[in-house]
Amino acid sequence: MTTVSTPTMTRRQMLKRVGAATAGVTVVAAAPMAARAAKQEVRYAMVIDTRRCSGCQACSIACKAEFEVPLGAVRSWVEHVEVGKYPNVERRMLPRLCNQCSEPPCVDVCPTEPKKATYKRKEDGIVVVDESLCIGCAKCLEACPYDARFMNPFKGDPVKTKGNGVADKCDFCLHRISQGVQPSCVNTCQGKARIFGDLNDPTSAVAKLVEEFDTTVLLRDKKTKPSVFYIDADYLEAKKDPKADQYFRLDTHRKEASSKRWS
Amino acid sequence: MLNRRNFLKLGAVTATTTVAGGACLSTQAAKDLPQWGNKDFSPTTGKSRKAIPSACWQCVTRCANMGYVEDGRLVKIESNVNSIRTEGVMCAKGQGAVNHTYDPDRILYPMQRVGERGSDEWKRISWDEALDMIAARMKKNRDAGTPEKVVYHYGRAKASHSKTIGGFFKAYGTGSIGNHTALCEGGKWTAQELTWGGHYDNWDFDNTKFVLNFGSNVLETHTNHIPTAHRLLWAMAEKGVEMVTFDVRLSNTAAKSKEWVPIKSGTDGAVLAAMINVVMSEGLYKGDGEEFLKYTRVTEDVNADVPAKIAAIKAGVKDYTPKWAEKISGVPASKITALARKFATTKPAVLVSYRGLVAHYNGNEGERLAQLLCAVTGQIDKPGTRMKAVGAGWKWPKIPSAKKIKKLDIFDGFPGQVAYPTHHVAETVLPMIKDGRNGRPDMYIMYCWTPAYANGHIGEAIEILKDEKLMPFIVSVDPFYGDSTMYADLILPDTPFTERWTAEDMVDPAQIGEFYIRQPFTKPLGEARDFSDVVFDLAKRLGVDMGKAKSHEDFVRLACENTPGVKDAGGFEYMKKHGVWHDKNATPQQQVYNRPVPESVYKAKGVVLDKASGVYWKPASEADAKKGYVATKGAYKKYVAQQMPHGVFSGFAPDKVNKSGYLELWSPLLKAKGFNPFPTWIPIPEHQKMGPDDLVLTTFKHAAQTHSRTMNCKYLAEVYHNNPAWINPVTAKARGIYDGDRIKVTSEVGEIVTKARVTEAIIPGVVAISHHCGHWAYGRYASGRRAPSTDEERGDRDFKFKWWTENGVHPNWVIPNSPDPINGQQRWMDTVVQVTRV
Repeated sequence: MTTVSTPTMTRRQMLKRVGAATAGVTVVAAAPMAARAAKQEVRYAMVIDTRRCSGCQACSIACKAEFEVPLGAVRSWVEHVEVGKYPNVERRMLPRLCNQCSEPPCVDVCPTEPKKATYKRKEDGIVVVDESLCIGCAKCLEACPYDARFMNPFKGDPVKTKGNGVADKCDFCLHRISQGVQPSCVNTCQGKARIFGDLNDPTSAVAKLVEEFDTTVLLRDKKTKPSVFYIDADYLEAKKDPKADQYFRLDTHRKEASSKRWS
Repeated sequence: MLNRRNFLKLGAVTATTTVAGGACLSTQAAKDLPQWGNKDFSPTTGKSRKAIPSACWQCVTRCANMGYVEDGRLVKIESNVNSIRTEGVMCAKGQGAVNHTYDPDRILYPMQRVGERGSDEWKRISWDEALDMIAARMKKNRDAGTPEKVVYHYGRAKASHSKTIGGFFKAYGTGSIGNHTALCEGGKWTAQELTWGGHYDNWDFDNTKFVLNFGSNVLETHTNHIPTAHRLLWAMAEKGVEMVTFDVRLSNTAAKSKEWVPIKSGTDGAVLAAMINVVMSEGLYKGDGEEFLKYTRVTEDVNADVPAKIAAIKAGVKDYTPKWAEKISGVPASKITALARKFATTKPAVLVSYRGLVAHYNGNEGERLAQLLCAVTGQIDKPGTRMKAVGAGWKWPKIPSAKKIKKLDIFDGFPGQVAYPTHHVAETVLPMIKDGRNGRPDMYIMYCWTPAYANGHIGEAIEILKDEKLMPFIVSVDPFYGDSTMYADLILPDTPFTERWTAEDMVDPAQIGEFYIRQPFTKPLGEARDFSDVVFDLAKRLGVDMGKAKSHEDFVRLACENTPGVKDAGGFEYMKKHGVWHDKNATPQQQVYNRPVPESVYKAKGVVLDKASGVYWKPASEADAKKGYVATKGAYKKYVAQQMPHGVFSGFAPDKVNKSGYLELWSPLLKAKGFNPFPTWIPIPEHQKMGPDDLVLTTFKHAAQTHSRTMNCKYLAEVYHNNPAWINPVTAKARGIYDGDRIKVTSEVGEIVTKARVTEAIIPGVVAISHHCGHWAYGRYASGRRAPSTDEERGDRDFKFKWWTENGVHPNWVIPNSPDPINGQQRWMDTVVQVTRV
C-alpha cells in the first residue's frame, strides 16, 4: 500500500504533493467538446461518475482476473484520498485507468519500425499494444503521464523483449466490447460509476454525460485529450478554509513504482 | 461533496429501467452495448468462455454469480445479470474468489498429523483411512451412549449444506452443534426475535427517501451486502436520497453519506433513546406512529389503548433528553433533535443498524431502541423503511433425525451468563471446553470454522486447541491450511465453493425471494471433496439414514424437483441452465402484521387465548395451557394469532422465543431474567471506569476482504493485506505517536505490536483495527507460511511476484471473549486498551 500522509500540509503543498503522488494529476474543468476533435467514426470513451463510486475495488479485481494481470501491476485501480480536519473530513474515490488519449504520448515514443507496437486504433480511438511487435523497451511507460502502463512479464517473446516482457495496459476490454459486452470493470460496478460508450454518437450515454455535466479530465495541461471523463472528481479542490492546515492522505493499493519494476 | 447541479442532471441521463430477465440496466448502456454480462471471451484468443451460472460464498450474502471456464480452468467470476438480488453487479470479494481454486497452498489430500499439534508435520492418508478413523470414533461414542461427545462446529453451513451436514449429525444422534453467529451479528437477530420475531431486516433503499445509519458499513460489507448496497448507491445517485451515518470512524459508507456523525463507541443507544424522546415530546408520533402503535406492545397490559401506550413511552424516555445524550455520546443535542425530526417527518425513511450499534454490552437494547424509534414514527415494515426480509422457501428433502438426540451444554455460554442465546455463544465454546463442567468433546469437527482466528483471546484459543487432554481428537474440514486447521489431528480437504453444489436462499431486497443454486465451475482438484458429500459416505459406514438423496448434488436436485415454482419452471435442469428463479407474478411482501385472522382459525379446536400475552395458541397439554404461553418451553411454535383491542391479527409471529404477536417492546421475557422490559439505555460498565490513558478498541471490515477466509485470494490480498491501527492525531499526539510508528496495544488479555495510521477520519479516544489480517497460517499469500505438502507452485506463475511482506496484525489477540448478557453477541467494540509508542 502506498501511503502519503502529511497531517500539517498547506493547500499549496497539498496540491504539489498530489502531483508527486499521482504522477502529476491535476484536475481542471475540461471543455468537453474540444476533446471531440478526433476524426474517427467511433470514439470509445468512459465517463466515471465519482458520486456513484464507493471505493470498493470491484473494478480493480475484475480487471485483474479478466486479464490475469501479474501481481504488482494494474490496468485499472482506485485511489482514495482523505482530506480535511476532524470532524470535517472526507474521503474521495478516484477510479483510474488508461485515458485512451487522443494525443497519446506513449505512441509518439514507441520506437518500432515500420509499424509502431503501441498505436491508436483509427476505427475507435483505443490505444493498444501489439505484443508481437513490442521489444520491451518500456519507453512508453516513461512517456505516459498517467502511470497507466506496466511491463507484463507473462507476455511477449522473451528473446525479442530481452526478458522484459511487453508493455501492457487497459484497452477498454476490446475483446468484450467488440462482441457487444460491457467492459469487465463496468459490469461489476455496484454503483454503476463507470459508463462506457461511443462519444461520437450524440445519443450515447457518455456523449450526453460529457455534454451536460461539468466533467473534468486528468492532466489537461498535458494536452493528451483523454477519452476518460470524470464527474465530480474534485477531491483536489480545497473543501475547507484554504488558509487552514490541511490533512491529506492518498491511498492506493498499487505497489510503489510498480510500473518500473521490470525495467 | 455532492454537486447539486450535477445531481439534478444525472437522473435524466441514466434513468434506469428493467429489461427482460429482471436485470436493471441503464437504458442508454443497453443501447450502446447490448450485453451487460453473462458472456465473456478470452482476451488472448477471442474465444468464447464457457459460462456457468452458480453462486458466490465469499461472504454470507451468497450472491448468484457466473463463472467463466476456459480450457477447463476457472478464469473469471462475474455477477449473473438475471439475479433480482444483485441486479447484475458484484463486489471485489466475489470477483476475487477466482483465486480460491488455484491457491498454491490448497490442501488436496486427507492428512493425518504425525508431529506435535501445530508442528506442521503431517502424512498423506487415503479417504478410506480418514473416514474409517472418524466413523470408528462415532461408533464408539454411539455404542457408549455418548453421541453428544461428537461435536460438529461450523462457521458457515447454509441452506442445503446446513440441511445435509447438520441433518447427518442429528440423524446420528448428536445435538452438539455449534455455530459462529454470535461473533457476527447474532445479537441483532436476538433483539429482533424479541421484538418482531424472526430475523433479517431488509432496508428498502429502492423506495426510501432518507437513511439514518447507526454503525453499518453497508457499502463495504454486510450480511446481504451487494443486494442491499448497490440499491443504496443508486438511490443516493439517482434520487438524491440522503444518508446520515453514525460511526466512530469514517468508513467508506460514512464517506459517501451526506453527513458523518462521529459518536463515542457504544453510545448509539443513548442517541436513539434521545431521538425517541424528541419524537414523543414534539408529537411527531401522530399519524403513522399512532397507527402502528396499535400493533406494538409497550406496557405490561396487552389490552392498552394507543393513548395509554403513548403515555407509557413518554414516561419511559422522559429522562433521555438530547442534552443528556450529548453528554454521553458527544453528539450535539441540536443535531440529535434535528435528525429525529428529519427521520420522523421524511416518509418513508429507513433506520439502518449494525455492529456499531449491536456488538456492545448494550447491543440488545440498542437494537430494541432502534425498533422503538421505527415504531413510534411508523417507519417500519412498509416500503421504504426497515422491513421483515424475504428469502427463498425451498422444500427440502427430509433427513430423519435420531429418535434421541443428546447434546453437550457448551454452546450457550457459562451458566447464568446469557439470558437468551438464541444464536448461541460461539465465543465461549472453547473456554467452556477448557472449564469442563458441562463435558468435553471426544471428537471436535470443525467445518468452515476457525475458532482460534475468529474468536477473541487468540492466545487462549490456541492453548486449548493444542491441549490433547481437553480435546483428544480434532478434525478440520478445510480447503486450505487454516489458522485453526493447523492444530487439528486430521484434515479433510474440503472443496472451495467454486467446486460445490448448493440450493441457496439468502434474503432478497426486492421482497420477493430468489431461488438459486450453486454448481461446480470445475471438478474438484486433487482428492478434495465437498463435506456435504462426505457425510453421505459416513452415513453409509454408520448405518445412518440420510433419506432419499444419495449425494449433495442429488439433494439439490430433489429440492429443485420438490419446490413449487422451481419445479414448474423446469426443476434442476432449469436451475443448472439459469442459476436463478423467482416468481414473476409475486408482489413484494410488506406489512406482515396487520392481516385480520378469521374466527375459524383462532377459535379452532385446541386453540386457546393466553390472557396475559393476548396470544391465541395451541398448547400441547392442559398443563402447558395452565403454565401459560410465555412460561411454556417452545410455546412460540404453537402461536396462532394475536388478540388486540381492535381485533385479532396475524401479528409479528414469534420465531425463537415466546413473545407475543405485537412488536414487543415491553418484554415479559426480559423482565423474567431481571432486565428492564422496556428498551433502556445501559452504559457499558468498562467504559465508566476508563482513565486518561485508556482508549476503546473497535474493529471494522474492508470492502475487499471477508472476515477470515479471503486473505489467500491473491488479488484481494494485493489490495488489502495490512491493517495499521487508525488513531486520531489528537489521541496520537498525546502519546507521542506519529503516522507509521510502531505501537503497542495492551488489554487485560494480551498485547499486540502494530503500526499507527494517524488519521483525521476517526473520533479521538478510539483506536480502530480491521479484521482480515494477521494470519499465522492460511497459506503463503495470507501469512507467508507454506501449507504442508505444497512444495510446488502448482502453476501459479504469480507467486514470485508477490511484493508485499507485511501481513498485518490480528486485533483478536487483545479482545476478550465477552458476550452481551442478553443475547450472547461477542462484544467486538468494547475492549479498553492502552496504546503506547514502541
